[in-house]
Amino acid sequence: MKRLLSILLVVCLVLSVALTGCGDTTGKGAGPDTPSGGGTSTDGGSTGGDRVISHDKEITIDNYNVAANYQGVQSGWFGKLLKDKFNITLNILAPQVAGDALYQTRISSGNLGDLIVLEGSDFADCVQNGLIRDITEEIKNWPNLMEYFHQIETYNKSIPGNEAGKIYGIPCQMTNTSPTAYSQDVIYSSPQLRWDLYQAIGAPEIRDLDGLLDALEAMQKIHPTNEEGEPAYAMTLWPDWDGGDNMMGIANVVQLTTWYGEKIKGSVVLKPDGTFYKLTDKNGTYRKMLRFLYDAQRRGIVDPDSMDQDWNAVYPKIAAGRVHLLWYSWQGGFWNTAERLADGTAFIFVPVMDQNYYADSDTYYGSGRVFGIGSGVDEEKFLRLMEFLDWYASPDGLEYQHIGIEGFNYTRGSDGKLTIKNENALMDNLPVPEEWGGGGFNDGNNAINQWIVDAISINPKTGEPYSRTYWSTYKEATRTEMKRQWAEKFGAEEPAEWMKKNNKLIVSPNVSVTLPTDPNDIAVIRNSCEEILEEYSWKMIFCGSDDKFDALWDEMVAKMDGNDFDLVVQFDLEKWQIELDAKKAAMENQ
Amino acid sequence: MKLLENKRKLRSLREFLYILPFLVLVAIFAYYPLYGWFYAFFDYKPPFPLTWDRFVGFKWFHTMVSNKVRIAQLLSVLRNTFAISGISLAFSWFPMMFAIFLNEIKCTAFKKFVQTVTTLPNFISWVLVYSIAYSVFSSTGAINTVAMSLGLLEEPKIFLASSDHIWLKMWLWLTWKNAGWAAIMYIAAIAGIDEELITAAKVDGASRMKIIWHITIPCLLPTYFVIVMLNLANFLSNGFEQFYVFQNAFNKEYIQVLDLYVYNLAMGSGGYSLSVAVSMFKSIVSVVLLCITNGISKLVRGHGFI
Repeated sequence: MKRLLSILLVVCLVLSVALTGCGDTTGKGAGPDTPSGGGTSTDGGSTGGDRVISHDKEITIDNYNVAANYQGVQSGWFGKLLKDKFNITLNILAPQVAGDALYQTRISSGNLGDLIVLEGSDFADCVQNGLIRDITEEIKNWPNLMEYFHQIETYNKSIPGNEAGKIYGIPCQMTNTSPTAYSQDVIYSSPQLRWDLYQAIGAPEIRDLDGLLDALEAMQKIHPTNEEGEPAYAMTLWPDWDGGDNMMGIANVVQLTTWYGEKIKGSVVLKPDGTFYKLTDKNGTYRKMLRFLYDAQRRGIVDPDSMDQDWNAVYPKIAAGRVHLLWYSWQGGFWNTAERLADGTAFIFVPVMDQNYYADSDTYYGSGRVFGIGSGVDEEKFLRLMEFLDWYASPDGLEYQHIGIEGFNYTRGSDGKLTIKNENALMDNLPVPEEWGGGGFNDGNNAINQWIVDAISINPKTGEPYSRTYWSTYKEATRTEMKRQWAEKFGAEEPAEWMKKNNKLIVSPNVSVTLPTDPNDIAVIRNSCEEILEEYSWKMIFCGSDDKFDALWDEMVAKMDGNDFDLVVQFDLEKWQIELDAKKAAMENQ
Repeated sequence: MKLLENKRKLRSLREFLYILPFLVLVAIFAYYPLYGWFYAFFDYKPPFPLTWDRFVGFKWFHTMVSNKVRIAQLLSVLRNTFAISGISLAFSWFPMMFAIFLNEIKCTAFKKFVQTVTTLPNFISWVLVYSIAYSVFSSTGAINTVAMSLGLLEEPKIFLASSDHIWLKMWLWLTWKNAGWAAIMYIAAIAGIDEELITAAKVDGASRMKIIWHITIPCLLPTYFVIVMLNLANFLSNGFEQFYVFQNAFNKEYIQVLDLYVYNLAMGSGGYSLSVAVSMFKSIVSVVLLCITNGISKLVRGHGFI
């Protein structure tokens, strides 16, 4: 028996050593090195500095990507483009699909992937632990990346422990405008109403949130169902985005706080005057917007499905005309078409007079996410990744990313200006031409879902932004009766212009800072406070009386405070002060 | 003599080799994971490597009970786990009765049909079960639509986003999914009952109910007890997927069981070390439960099972 036991122990030991060993393999991400098939590689190679980079060998790039909504090999027309141009197969590893545990398992094995897209603070942790390759020398050979060198250098200097300014990461969505400019026509979050319904209730001036609710209630009265007879509500909510984007609280409320010039940063709220207050302040905007949704619910204009549906159930409702209020600028994309803009049934911003809106300026220094190259890649793959990234930041590559295929998604006029074609290619997943391998446009679209250069940047080939809604040809085509009426009523061409004219827009400059990640103690408290906050917020929106609303709020605050919420607040005050100081400096340098 | 000794040794080695594969399996899947308990004593935060300066001793065990809110949370998680497991234990006779009554159906085609229909849900994943639940019970689901069009309801009734009778509802979903599958074991056991017993009882003039009561059930009891014992061993592991898909702000307070709590802690916040500590706590509670059951078994049957 004793011998048996000792053998067993030896077996355990051997196994544990063997299995621990499994975790230490690095740099084996590449697929089989099969030679490329005849004629797949159309251009023989390109230059980085004075070298010629050969595309003869097919390589597979593992892309660990926090932005991707798709996991697997890039297929369709974009996949074909990469194969033909670079002889690259892109294999995407998406924590949004596979779960956050993917990050933990991959970083503890020491190899995240070949091409990495991460949030800035995680990226800094990875740089400190040697998971990211130093590209300081190599980047100088690539002209399209060097266009943005100022931004890239500024970002890298902000990584803690990298005061020497070595280059590791390339920020996502940089622009070639300026860190304090605001180039969008419609800000990220503002109240948008169906123009025909707003006209039908007499286009009243909306003074405040109560006025907005009055208008919405009236709209629901005249339009209780869509054309198919399905019930329509003023607003529909969804819980599956709660707690995201560095903001505590439920997603549908935190966005609305920007309507009063305030922005939630973790557990604290930034006021327009540059001071912070605690999220659970009784006079704060979080409670105010929670109360707004509660009042709406009491009036019976909130979709009763709201509590147990997810975003995938919500957007078909928007697309089917079952919602009367939108608050994200991009949500219009599910309803507004050229046709609806023409017949006046599209959504458009309608000002609420007591509001002033918060918006983040152009992401000149980047959006906060970062591209990097894994430290495990070999020399050959490294060069080919740099070549790919350089193309990815070039006007040629950006036209593919932000617009699509020339001749299918757009045409180029003799004056160099672009005109849109097949406007619904993405929405309706139109089949692409055979020469592009066929398949739906959306199915084959770039699954990296993240860009080195933002769509609002100016395309040097046309002199206009990459984003199609800013092209002169598009503006010409959508100057409809509805837009004319809107412009006449509010005295401005576009919503953002109205806000600027009326002094209702607070633009927060874009800065490049790397903020610390939560230590475990804080992370644990933050998580349990977040759970309490979300649970009670939903209960408050759907409770039955004002007294109950107040009682739930007090109960929630007591519970959070009892759970050391103040430690999180203290941590966040120090953390976000770093960003605020940088923003103040940016304003002064302007 | 020596030769004999060697032969015996050889034989015992051979017999050891027979069980070696199973020992290896147990070592890999039951003992090797225990090495992960290390994490509970460190302040582990990937990608920072696990080094000794991150050693924190029993800090995370203290954290678990460091304030009233957390103690209350842990207690409510335990309460939910015990209540949900308790309900399914209390109703563990249900699949047995189902099998018995199913067996009484004389029309074979109908019997097979019922058995197939009740077994199928076992192969549906919980995510799909939830989507079925959603399309039937949501405010625009089948029930509300029918009730409203018949004028039975003024406005949709909220079934999913509410905590009313949530434990019972969870048990009903579990039973809907599992009852047919769990009955298979009993159906097999019924098939094994000696026909002579039944024939003899019939000759003595026993009615159908009498046969069930005096023959079928007593013959099934040993199987039943084995299954109850197995369920007891899993008392704390009452699954995670079911509660994960059904959880929302309105029922979370009553639905968060231990496994879900550990998941929410680790994946929601990256509190890996704390969640390892909580799962160790779960092991301790399991061992306590095991000792109690063993004690009861000793008292009742005269001997324990370990």
